[in-house]
Amino acid sequence: MSSSKGGSSQPNNPPTKKRKLDNNGNKSAARRVARAIPAQLPEVAFENGELNLQPFVAAHEFEIRALEQSMAISKTQGATRAFQKVPRGLRRRAASHNPKRVPKRLRARAQKEKAEDNTPLVTARRRKPTTTTARIRMETAKKLRTLAFRKKTFREKRARAAGARAETLPDKAKQPQRARRPKIRRNALNEPPRPRGRFRKRQKNKIWLPTHMWHAKRARMMSPKEPLWRFAMPLRPNEKIYRPTHRMQGDRGAVVWDMSYMSTIGLYGHPAGMERVLKRIGVTHDSCWNDKGKKWRAGTRSWSGMLSRETKQGRRQSCPATIFWNPAPADRVAVEDLKKDRRQVFLRVHPASFSELFNELLRWCKSETPQLYIEDLRFEIGSIELTGPASTEVLHSVLTPYPVAGEPKSKHAELFASLKGLTNPAALPQNVILGFSIQDPRLRYPPRKQSPAQGEAADMKLLETVSGWPAETALKPYALLDREARHEASQLPTQGLVNRRRSKITPGSFLKPSPIDPAIPIVLLASRSGSSTQAQGKWTLLAPWKCIQPIWYSIVHCPLSTGGNPRFAGLEQTRQVAFERGLPWFPADFPTTDAGVAWELDQRAVRTLKWSRRPKSKRTEWSTVDLGAGRKGELGDGLACDFEYLFGLPRPDDAETQSTEGAMDVEQGQVSQTTATSSSALSALHHVSRKAFLGLARAGEGTALSIPLNALLTVRIRLVTRGTVGPCARIYRLPATPPPVPVASDAEVPATIPPSASTSFPSALPHDLRAQWLAKLPDSTAAGAKDTTRQPRATTPESRRQRIVRELTSKPTPWPSTKSNLRDIGGQHPLCPSSNDLIGFVTTGEFCLSDGRGSAIGSIAVDMVLGGFRADETEGRLCIVRSAGENVGWLARWEAV
Amino acid sequence: MVRIKERYLLVNILYPSDSAQPPKPGLPSHIQLHQPTTDTMTPGSLLRGIKKEVEILYGDYGAGMLNGLQIKYLSLATSTFIIKCSRAMCSMLWSALTFMSRIPNKDGTGKQCIFRVVRVSGTIRKVEEEAIRQSRALIVAAKQEASEAQSSISGITRQTADMQAPAQSHFATVDDSDESMDDADG
Repeated sequence: MSSSKGGSSQPNNPPTKKRKLDNNGNKSAARRVARAIPAQLPEVAFENGELNLQPFVAAHEFEIRALEQSMAISKTQGATRAFQKVPRGLRRRAASHNPKRVPKRLRARAQKEKAEDNTPLVTARRRKPTTTTARIRMETAKKLRTLAFRKKTFREKRARAAGARAETLPDKAKQPQRARRPKIRRNALNEPPRPRGRFRKRQKNKIWLPTHMWHAKRARMMSPKEPLWRFAMPLRPNEKIYRPTHRMQGDRGAVVWDMSYMSTIGLYGHPAGMERVLKRIGVTHDSCWNDKGKKWRAGTRSWSGMLSRETKQGRRQSCPATIFWNPAPADRVAVEDLKKDRRQVFLRVHPASFSELFNELLRWCKSETPQLYIEDLRFEIGSIELTGPASTEVLHSVLTPYPVAGEPKSKHAELFASLKGLTNPAALPQNVILGFSIQDPRLRYPPRKQSPAQGEAADMKLLETVSGWPAETALKPYALLDREARHEASQLPTQGLVNRRRSKITPGSFLKPSPIDPAIPIVLLASRSGSSTQAQGKWTLLAPWKCIQPIWYSIVHCPLSTGGNPRFAGLEQTRQVAFERGLPWFPADFPTTDAGVAWELDQRAVRTLKWSRRPKSKRTEWSTVDLGAGRKGELGDGLACDFEYLFGLPRPDDAETQSTEGAMDVEQGQVSQTTATSSSALSALHHVSRKAFLGLARAGEGTALSIPLNALLTVRIRLVTRGTVGPCARIYRLPATPPPVPVASDAEVPATIPPSASTSFPSALPHDLRAQWLAKLPDSTAAGAKDTTRQPRATTPESRRQRIVRELTSKPTPWPSTKSNLRDIGGQHPLCPSSNDLIGFVTTGEFCLSDGRGSAIGSIAVDMVLGGFRADETEGRLCIVRSAGENVGWLARWEAV
Repeated sequence: MVRIKERYLLVNILYPSDSAQPPKPGLPSHIQLHQPTTDTMTPGSLLRGIKKEVEILYGDYGAGMLNGLQIKYLSLATSTFIIKCSRAMCSMLWSALTFMSRIPNKDGTGKQCIFRVVRVSGTIRKVEEEAIRQSRALIVAAKQEASEAQSSISGITRQTADMQAPAQSHFATVDDSDESMDDADG
């Protein structure tokens, strides 16, 4: 609008100057002026009142200039704020408008913007309380402050009075006090470390990880009111991380987790008793206790597997665990009385099933004579997990073996150093352990980039080390498992002291460990994912709880030779990584464990809440899901992996419908009741391992091998064609071919026959349903049948013309047209089989980046698939998966895991 | 956040040669076609003319829809303007411009002309880029034509120049590239 005004007067004046003139507080006016594009009046385009080339060109040149200038100005004058320029990795959640919270180089700009915009800036100290609670809190804080001040002055006064008397006495307070060793009770749970006063209240019903402060700024944490497994867990980083995690865990780089929430239990006593106890909790594999398990029992290998416990209905899975022995001291004299021998074994389990295992162990330990004892080492030993090709490199740049004067280097430390250039911990012998001491990583902070691999000779050397693996020579007990060593390592000098020491040396050089720097004992566990050596393995670094934080800082700031830093990740990424490697994730994919049941019930509540919060028009109405062939309604509860429906177990819904509607207290009672019933129903599920399933399948029908009641098999499902499925998706087996109908009997009693026949094969479904599904297999010869039903895409004008001709000459479709979804879904997808063919549910499912197609982990009923599997192993592995609330099923192949 | 979606139209005012007023001999045809607008047209009078035309074409409905119209740039020397409208009424505005045949000045004695929409876009930047491109092409074409007219004698070359001339297409390009961005925002 102001174009003609602005341009006519001063065509060459850049608008920036005008903006400055206007910029006295009135920002919108300034912006309007800046956006105006100068233009000329028509007179300039004439030469003596005549049209001519020269003025014409000049006018257009002016226009070009004006427009270019306008574009440049609006670019600089844009509406972005300083905090929007902060790199993604540095973004924080709160108070971005605060100039103090942006990086230094953007601070001046942020200040300017704040002044221009008149952004209100409230500091916590000067904030006025808005709510009643806040006001009361503030008043209390004020009172407490006065009280503290009074107490302090009183104390000082008393000290001054006493000081006059006791000046001559030696000052006791100035002597360095030895820190108290934390109490570790035997056969009892231990307290978490007492947090500093200002953080104590926040950890009332949960425990912070050692790196909590770091994570809380950079990750989405579990809601403080509902801590998961009583820990403040990082769920996922603030950054978008799905694809980066996929790349870092397999292709390039490294992913790290603070896994200090994993619980460690120590079991002490004589080896024979320990063997009995371990067998009781599920370490029953022969390979553990015969010659094959010698290395495990010596303490140079760890064992990972499922633990189980005895119940009335047979053995029940409890949790996956990692178990390793502490090597016996080398100078131990052979003890004659075997019962006097003492060994230690350590169990690392998930916190979800810690108390279950602890109680179980306690029970068995007490029954042994002489008694064994257990220690709860949860807050004594923390851990960090690393995976990805650069994980070994990261460890090499962060962990420096602690030199002890006069002693040779530890064998394990040497072994660790010789792993330089290793890109996959799965390439090591299975489940190896390395235990040695490192120096404080802060002395060498920031860690340096490792030089890349050195050539063929080094590779050969590495191969020799890996194949030889001389870990047994000069084996010593791992210091980490020694209480005294752990306590000493926890007395790290303060960060301030380290900084002061660093300021005295030349910049860029490393600090030398001095007597005040304790050695940090660590244990490194290498493990494979699944059984393959090709897939990326992972490193688990165990260290004293208090040393996790300095190690963590060094790890996340470690520069990689391939560029970048290791990425930290949260709980959701552990699940994603497990999914991409085709492994079930504890506890979600283990519905046959107590922790899995708890997780499933939790998820049901979460899903129901989320569903009920959607507007009615936007949420799935489960009763009207059209499954085709006139079938209406989702099978079971659409928001649950409804194993109750699958096995006909008592449903929690029954209790719910019977109880009356109304008051709050009634509702609460009802909730507790329902959870009790449903958990008991779900805990009737039993697990069948892959090995046991194969045994059952090979045994044939005649043998007496019994399937446990409500037996579930964990499977990995890969979709054969397109499509993805989500959690709670239904798994069907392929429908059976209908039995040929006996003609003669049919003629005699036509009215009474259907019931029995229709239960085994619903008549509404097409008879060739199995063939229709098999035709979906991409490599099958029957694929031609599919093409006839589907119109080929018309790409050329010729084919388009032909298609039109075909359409015109073909018979018109009769009106009214037949009902949709009667013979198939949308004219392309075969119908889903009947509910008789439902075999299980998907617990985790989405598009798998490593497979490049949809994939899922689920649990299926063994008795439903066993028959088909025995008859034909390849077709028996085919299944159909359908997301809850949808009617399109996808053909998939399952394999037991 | 709800984002208000808009369209920017780049419009040229063209003066095709009149049979009553023969063109000046030797003057490049482009200069003739893109001559400056001499009538005293202000942004206000232009808006009024457009509103009148929309009312004729679409009646009260059209007149009611016609809010948020804004002239972002009006250069009479080059007979070009950029107009902003809401996305919903973009086609209405375009058709109204197509039907306008006179410069809408105050007293209604405007010259006969054609309003040609050259570019429609969701952002003003692309429209500005197009205007720059067009101006450049026009300068080159006009210069070339002028030099050819000088060198040759007759108007035969006029035709060839016409054919070679500016790279501008005769259809407006509609740029919807920002659409996806807008939707993601909303």
